[in-house]
Parts: sequence; C-alpha cells; structure tokens
Amino acid sequence: MTELHDTLVEFVQVLRTADVKVSPAETLDAMEALDIIGIENRVLLKNSLSMVLSKNPEEKEAFNTSFDRFFSFNKFSSENNATEPDEDTHQDDGEFDPESDAPNQQSGQGGQGGGQGGGGGAEASGELDFEQLEAQSELGKLLLSGDRMEVMIKMAEAGRQVEVNQIVVFTQKGLYTRKIMEAMGLKGLQDEVGELQEEGGRPQMHLAGQLKGARDHLREQVRDYVEKQFFLHADESGKQLREELLKKVKLSNLEKRNFKDVQEIVFKMAKKLVSIHSKRRKTFKRGQLDIRKTLRSNMQYDGMLFDLKWKSQKVDRPKVMCICDVSGSVSNYSRFLLMFLYSLAEILPKVRSFAFSSDLGEVTRLFQQSKLEDAMAKTMRDYGNGSTDYGQMLADFRSHILKDVDSKTTVIILGDARNNYGDPKSEILREVYDKAQRVIWLNPEPKSSWTVGDAEMKKYAPCCHQTEVCNSLVHLERVVGNLLRVAV
Amino acid sequence: MAIKNDDKLKDIEAIRGHFESLGYICSVEIATAVFLAYHLEKPVLIEGPPGVGKTELAKTTAEMVDLPCIRLQCYEGLDESKAIYEWKYGKQLLYTQVLKETLGEILDGATGLAESVDKLHSFGDIFFSEEFLEPRPLLKALKAEESCVLLIDEVDKSDHEFESLLLEMLSDYQLSIPEIGTVKAIPGKKPLVFLTSNNTREISDALKRRCLHLYIPFPNAELERQIVRARVPDIPPKLNQQLVAFIQELREMDLKKVPAISETIDWARTLILLHSESLDPELVRQTLNVILKFQEDVETVQSELQGVTNRAIKAT
Repeated sequence: MTELHDTLVEFVQVLRTADVKVSPAETLDAMEALDIIGIENRVLLKNSLSMVLSKNPEEKEAFNTSFDRFFSFNKFSSENNATEPDEDTHQDDGEFDPESDAPNQQSGQGGQGGGQGGGGGAEASGELDFEQLEAQSELGKLLLSGDRMEVMIKMAEAGRQVEVNQIVVFTQKGLYTRKIMEAMGLKGLQDEVGELQEEGGRPQMHLAGQLKGARDHLREQVRDYVEKQFFLHADESGKQLREELLKKVKLSNLEKRNFKDVQEIVFKMAKKLVSIHSKRRKTFKRGQLDIRKTLRSNMQYDGMLFDLKWKSQKVDRPKVMCICDVSGSVSNYSRFLLMFLYSLAEILPKVRSFAFSSDLGEVTRLFQQSKLEDAMAKTMRDYGNGSTDYGQMLADFRSHILKDVDSKTTVIILGDARNNYGDPKSEILREVYDKAQRVIWLNPEPKSSWTVGDAEMKKYAPCCHQTEVCNSLVHLERVVGNLLRVAV
Repeated sequence: MAIKNDDKLKDIEAIRGHFESLGYICSVEIATAVFLAYHLEKPVLIEGPPGVGKTELAKTTAEMVDLPCIRLQCYEGLDESKAIYEWKYGKQLLYTQVLKETLGEILDGATGLAESVDKLHSFGDIFFSEEFLEPRPLLKALKAEESCVLLIDEVDKSDHEFESLLLEMLSDYQLSIPEIGTVKAIPGKKPLVFLTSNNTREISDALKRRCLHLYIPFPNAELERQIVRARVPDIPPKLNQQLVAFIQELREMDLKKVPAISETIDWARTLILLHSESLDPELVRQTLNVILKFQEDVETVQSELQGVTNRAIKAT
C-alpha cells in the first residue's frame, strides 16, 4: 500500500498547485479512505477522494480536472505493434510480422493477451526468462484484469525516483522520458531482447518482437506521462510565478492579453479579503438591552441581573464613494480599482462609483448590472473623452453628491491630479474632507512627480486624510485592505 | 464502528438499494458519502441548493439503520447552552432550599469555620453533577447508548463562534464540560454526523477540514424522474416525463429561485390531485405558483410558458 500512498501524496501536491487547499490531515484521511475502498473502481475512487480532499464547488471542479489528468493511464492495452521501432539497432522485424503462422502456444490467449504480455514483460524484464512463455502470458492476463493502475504505479514510482516533478521547461521532456525508462529497467529488457535474438528460434524471435513492440509502446506511454507531468507541475507553478509577477507589474503596462489573468487574481485577492473581514465579530458592548436574553442567562445567578446581554448591533459597513479618472493615462488603474471594489460586494455593499474626465457621472448602476468589461467600455465611451478637469469634477461633486456624504463615508479619488493648469478648486475638496469620514487619494504616479508640471497634488494633499501611490495590484490590495480594516 | 444494522452499510450498492426501498433515490456520490462517513468515522458536510434532499438524507440514513435521529437546528445566536448542555438552575435552587433545613445535621459536630467547610467539601460538587445537567442535542448524541444519527441542520445560519464550538465534537467525538470533565462517545458507538449548509456564507476551513464534503447538485432528468416515481407512485409515466422536462428547463432559466426537487414533487402531487394526464399550457399557468415562489419569477416564466410547455410535451 505504501507506493499507493506515495502516489496519493504526489496527487495532493498536484492538487495544491491547482489551488485546492489540502491539509496534511486531509491527506491522511484520503489514505484511510483509500485503504477502505481500494483502487479497483475508478469512479468510486474519484468520488471518495473528491469528498475528502476538495471542499467547495470550485475546488471540486479543479479536483476533477486534476484527477483525470493525473490518473489517466488508460491506453496501455491498446495495439502496440503499430509503432515502427525507429531507433532499433537490432534485427528487423520480418520474423514476427507474419503473425498468422506464428506458433500457437499463445494463440489461446488471443490478440490482446499478447499485447498485455509484452507490457508485463517490459516491466518485470529483470527477471524475465524466455522459457516461461506461458507464464508471461499469465502475467499479461493478470495485467488485463488489474493492469492500468499497476503499470501506472510502476511508472509513477520510476517518475518519483528521477524526480520528474522537478521538470520546469518543455525541452526537458526527452531527458525525463529516458530517465524514467531506465529507472523502470530498460536495460534489462534490452539485454533480454538481445539474448533472445541471439538464441534465434521462432518462438524466441516472436517473443523478442513482442517485447520490442511493448518497449516502444511503453516509451510512448512514458513520453505521454512526462508530458502530463509537465502540465501538472510546470504549467501550474509557471502560472503561480506569472501571477506573482502580474501582481507587481505596473497596471498601465499590462497588456490586453493579461487582463483575464489579472481579473482572476483580483477575484482571488478580493476573496481573501472577504474571508478575512466577514469573520469580524460583532460588538456586543453597546446598544439596546436584550431583556429576554439577560433574564435567561442570569437564571443561574438566582435571577440577579448582573450579566447584562445586549442586542447585537449591526456592523456598519463603510459607505464608499469612488471617483475615478477615466482619461487615457489613468483609465487602466480605474478599471482595476473598480474591479476590486465590485468583487467585494459581499462585504462592501454600498459602493457608489463615479467616473470623469471633465464632467462627473455616476456609473454605479452600470457596474452593478452589466459585466465588468462592458461596463468599463461604456464608461470609457461616455466619460473618457475630453481633457481632464479636476476643478469641474469637484464642482459637479459638490452640486450633486456632497449632500449624500456623511461621517461614515469614505471617498476614494483615483487620479494623477494633472489638471492641465486649470483651477484645481481644492477648497471643494476641503469641504468634502470636513464632511466625510475619510478622503483617500490614490495616485498612480510615483511621489517624486506629484508636484511636477501641471500636477496639483500639492494643493490636494492637505485636503486628504491619506494619499497613496497606487500602481500595481499589490498596492491596490493594500489600500482596499486598509479601507476595510479601518472602516468596518 | 459497530452499530446495529451495520450490514446495511457494507457496500455502496447495498446502501443505494436500502435508500431506494425507503423512497430516497440517490446518486452514487451520495451513497459513497454515507459509506465513507460510516467507515472513516467522519462527519459529512452536505452542501447544495435548497430542496435537493440534504436534510432528508440524514433522516433516511437514520431510518435505514434504525437509529434515532437527533436534530440540531442552527440559527443566529445559537450557543452552547442550547446546543451542548445547560445546568438545571431551577432544580439546583429548589434543592438548595430543601437542603437548607438539613444543613444543621450535615454540619453536626463541626466546630469552627474551617471544619465546617471541610465537611461540606466531602460532599463533593453534587450540584454540578450529571444529575443537574440538561443535555442538549450534541451531548445527547454523544451519550446515546445505541449510537444515533446527529443532524446539524443549516450550520451556515449559526455564528462563527458556534462553528468553533463544534470542532471538538466533530474531530474527536467528545465535549468538555468544565465542571464535570470530558464526555466521550461510547467507543464503537460514535454518532453518524451530518451537517447541512445552504451556502449562505462560507463555512470555515477548520470545520471543512474535519468533514467529508458532499455537494448535492440538482439531479439530472433521469434521476429526477426516478425520484418523482418513488415519491408519487401513482403518477403516469408520461406526465412524469413531461413534468421533469419542464422543471429541468426552468432550472436553465434566469430565475430568482429555481424550483428544487421538493417543488417538483409538490407539483406532481398537485397535478395528480387535478387528475391531469399530461401537461398543457393552461394547466401549467394555473399551477405555476406551486413551483415558483416569487412573483417576479412567475412573470418571467409566464411569457415563455407556451414554448417551454410545448417542448416539454414534445420530449415524451
């Protein structure tokens, strides 16, 4: 059973790279389950492991793909004499080609038995003895019943021996294929084939041919296996690497083809924040006295009311107003900020968003109702033209929205504060500052250029509670995390 | 684990068969979950949309192995005094009153405070013994002599604190009561535990880690037909087929609440009551409120009713 357990551990590793969180305790459970159900029934195995290892619908999906990829050694018994041995230095195969008149000790086993026997021979080649022709076929029969797993396990074992999970680049595939073949006892097999051919004789030749065919077939299988390992290990870890990189890259440098990846990352980050912040405890120290509860819990003190219970107070989620510059230079940042905020709908239900380049417009409904991409495109179309005018934006804000700002509102402004030398109207921002709980200015430019040229950060900064450089996903995550920490 | 009737749990096909004879048609996954739960001695966390038979699974299992089903319905504010145990305050008070009279006898012969206290100590903590303990579902389940099925229903409705409270029970089948000590399940008689969740919030990893996780989706048409047949035996096969096809199509639509299996069954019963042999648009229109619970949804479906019904009829 131990080799089975090793395989399982390997599988768990694969699951982890595929974003299924598996704890050691669950791995142990899986082993226990494996001992109970065995490996004969693939569907049963899959169901059981799925129950033990993956614990939500997304994980189940990832599990299913990984399982199918990992345990997909299913074609071993397929026709093996179809492959022409390409690098075969020994004799040609004329001897065994005319299968029809090949002698008959084996005819009883039938065609597929032959293939199986070859497969078995390839594995156990070290101990193979030519005299035991029947015995081999017996092995073939044996393999026919419990074959796939057996062969797969042998292969996985060899793979483990040569550490195939360390594979990183595509070009290493050939190398690992050879290594695995060797670890499975390729040399013994080659020697035996050589011996058989030297001995000559019809049955020997026949067997040698079968062995060679099986060997080539096995090679195919191993190559396949290595390829899958590559996809399982290298591809996923490559993805993780890429994600880490994407998190740090400047958002304006992102290319369109990366948007999908980034979106995924944003969702992941948002999910993490949600799970951290939705577990916040409620405050019980204030609010209305809960008489029923108090009486109930004070029964144990002889009805003396000294352990008071309060009606739990609903936690006030922060009201967030998010004003985004959507003019060309900054639009990418706005896109991801909005993406982030809307992914947090569960813990930030009251997000209102506004877009502007000169005139301010509310886009809250747009983002709630349509898909992010569409909403973004529409926003760009409607508000993205024209030169940036922060003064106008603030004036609009005062006349339409300022009345909704209260002491629980956090106002986030995302923009580079480049005002084309217009009137910054920072006094309006001051008003907002006085009314709102917090005003946060996120600027994608580095601090050194905040006062260069037409940038007005110098005037705006004193009217903000917080100013931050924000130009990568990591920054975004930090800002949003802080927002939740302080405000919730 | 050795509970009575455990031969009924010996393999997956057996479980399916027994479930079926009790009118609960289940997929292989569900049977596997019950099988593993029993053999690994692990709780099962069942998730899935409302009305797919999560609670029913626990109840049917209890019925199958002929054990009592102890149910703990979770809700916000549920705490240990409702879930695990509570002291019988009233009884404690009453006994103190009664014993006050006899206090003289007990303390007879003791001189000085120290001696009296010593004497009292020798009686032990009788007021905090099992006599005065009111067991709640979790404790009851542990102490059940013949083992039992414990159903912790809608665990997602409870608070996070309560989830943590469950951990000890779920991983070690034991509960700690400060005044008494640790209560463990009778060896070999551990309760079969089922937890259900409607996914209104994410269950913590700590809890998930301790459970087998079973996700019950809506059944496919074939399975659903079997379920309807098992639950409403006198339904004509043709109607059954049409009805299931209709429901299956509704599930594809963008509805606030899609009809679950329980609604399918209700609808089947309704149609039987109305003596209908097959679906027709008018009939569907009249009975739509059995399967759809929001006016919005009813309106959405009304507009496409003709087409959906016709397709469902054609499906037979």
